[in-house]
Amino acid sequence: MTAVFRNGYLALLALFILTPMAVIVIFSFDANRFPTLPWGGFTLAWHREALADAMIVSAIRNSIIVSLSTAVIATTLGFCAAYLDYRYAFFGKRSLMLVIAIPPAVPVTILGMAMLAAMSRTPMFGTPFGIIVCHAAIAVSFAMALIRLRLGDLGPDLEQAAWNLGASRWTGLTQVVIPFCRPSLIAAFCLSAAVSFDEFMVAWFVGGVNETLSVRVFNLLLGQVNPKINAIGTLVLMTSIVLVALAQAFARIGRTKEPNP
Amino acid sequence: MPGMAPIRRKALPALLGVPVVLWQLAFFVLPLVFLVVITFWKVRNFKLEPAFDLGNWEKVLTSTPFQRALVYTGEVALIATILSMLLAFPAAHAIALRLSDKARARWIAFLIIPVFSSYILKVYAWQVVLSPGGVLNVAFGALGLPQADLLGGMLSLHIGLLTLTLPVVTLILTFALMGMDKTLIEAARNLGASRAQVLLQVTLPAIKPGLGLAAVTAFLMAFGDYASPVFLTGSNPPTLSILIVDTVKSGSQWPRASVIGVSMLAILALAFVLVQLATAKREVQR
Repeated sequence: MTAVFRNGYLALLALFILTPMAVIVIFSFDANRFPTLPWGGFTLAWHREALADAMIVSAIRNSIIVSLSTAVIATTLGFCAAYLDYRYAFFGKRSLMLVIAIPPAVPVTILGMAMLAAMSRTPMFGTPFGIIVCHAAIAVSFAMALIRLRLGDLGPDLEQAAWNLGASRWTGLTQVVIPFCRPSLIAAFCLSAAVSFDEFMVAWFVGGVNETLSVRVFNLLLGQVNPKINAIGTLVLMTSIVLVALAQAFARIGRTKEPNP
Repeated sequence: MPGMAPIRRKALPALLGVPVVLWQLAFFVLPLVFLVVITFWKVRNFKLEPAFDLGNWEKVLTSTPFQRALVYTGEVALIATILSMLLAFPAAHAIALRLSDKARARWIAFLIIPVFSSYILKVYAWQVVLSPGGVLNVAFGALGLPQADLLGGMLSLHIGLLTLTLPVVTLILTFALMGMDKTLIEAARNLGASRAQVLLQVTLPAIKPGLGLAAVTAFLMAFGDYASPVFLTGSNPPTLSILIVDTVKSGSQWPRASVIGVSMLAILALAFVLVQLATAKREVQR
């Protein structure tokens, strides 16, 4: 491949990835009711209208609660699993790692159906709490991966040194391991929040009338063309992008520079 | 108390392990097991009742709508896999082997973003671009080109599916190519191999497991996808995921929806195992 052809091809790929995102953002400011050309003039009316919509506002509130709670749980569980994998050898370790790693690989329609079938037999059905526990089971996979990557850079010596100096296992964990992992914990938190914020199928099935923002968007999409979709879509897209970008920035801290031998 | 130390030492891993084990069992494994159990249950008076009835399996597996949807979904997923592999490889090759370290890091960061951001919105955006009165057709009109019916066919469906698969597949192939031993390529070039020979006889065999992982991932994503078939082909013809959602949302016939879901999982597991067997690196005999 010559350089020109190569760069042209990469530019096309970037264009393909950016086009749908740009369409949402650009048309959210278009005064036309129907998103098409020619441009109908700049307006903030749809953004204002979207934020005045009671269902959207309550969906935003639900989404904040669900994604933050999911992030807290997934990061905590993800750290426990990553540390177990890093520090201990035990019976059933492979199976445990498997049930943590696999959930994102199961199609969400099937996962949603299964989780609904189980949840509908508990009082958690139709509550934000039901969505949270299901989202955490999915997001823990990403949280654990990010934290485990960081633990791989810790090396066995530092914790051992703390033990030799008289620190208990618990002190070693809280004073050495967790501070070392802090950037990856923040990264895991942001990514888990993004995964939960973005997920609509499980939330749609399990949440009942408690719609998250992604479910609200999905329900709007199922209905008539509605200029509010682009406005709320812009908010959703920007939130996801910021969360994933933050996750990447924190995941990079302390890596690349000095690979531990 | 020296005697306490070993107990505490064992208490910590238990303290860390038990919650996450219970969580994944309760909210991931159990629902899936329950899904399998439901496939044998019966619906009586719109209520689900425990039973051991193989009739659900028989009814679904022999029904024409299921078989049609199965073949269609499989075809679509296979085409999507091939398309995304073919389109992603040149990009991954360029990113992994040709770009500077800085540009490569930037591309990887750029490709990770769309993996986690609002797939349904992007599918909707393609609807806006491709629809009869949409952006592309207006642009065609302005250029004096004839209007094209872009929405609702295989073209729009695969544009949607590529939105889902292309970033992931490109990332997996990029990591695979970054991980390969580049001296192999240099050696082959020095020995006079052409670019095509290097690609076919050195590079591709060297990243065989990565190729397998990328292909399985693309197949899995396209096979289970719901949004693109719904919004870009109007659920016509229906895919297996659409059959599931329709059955679940209509409230009855849970057992039959479960049969479809469990069948899909079985197919995906089979695809995974087959590709693993085909692409696993054989131990080098010494």
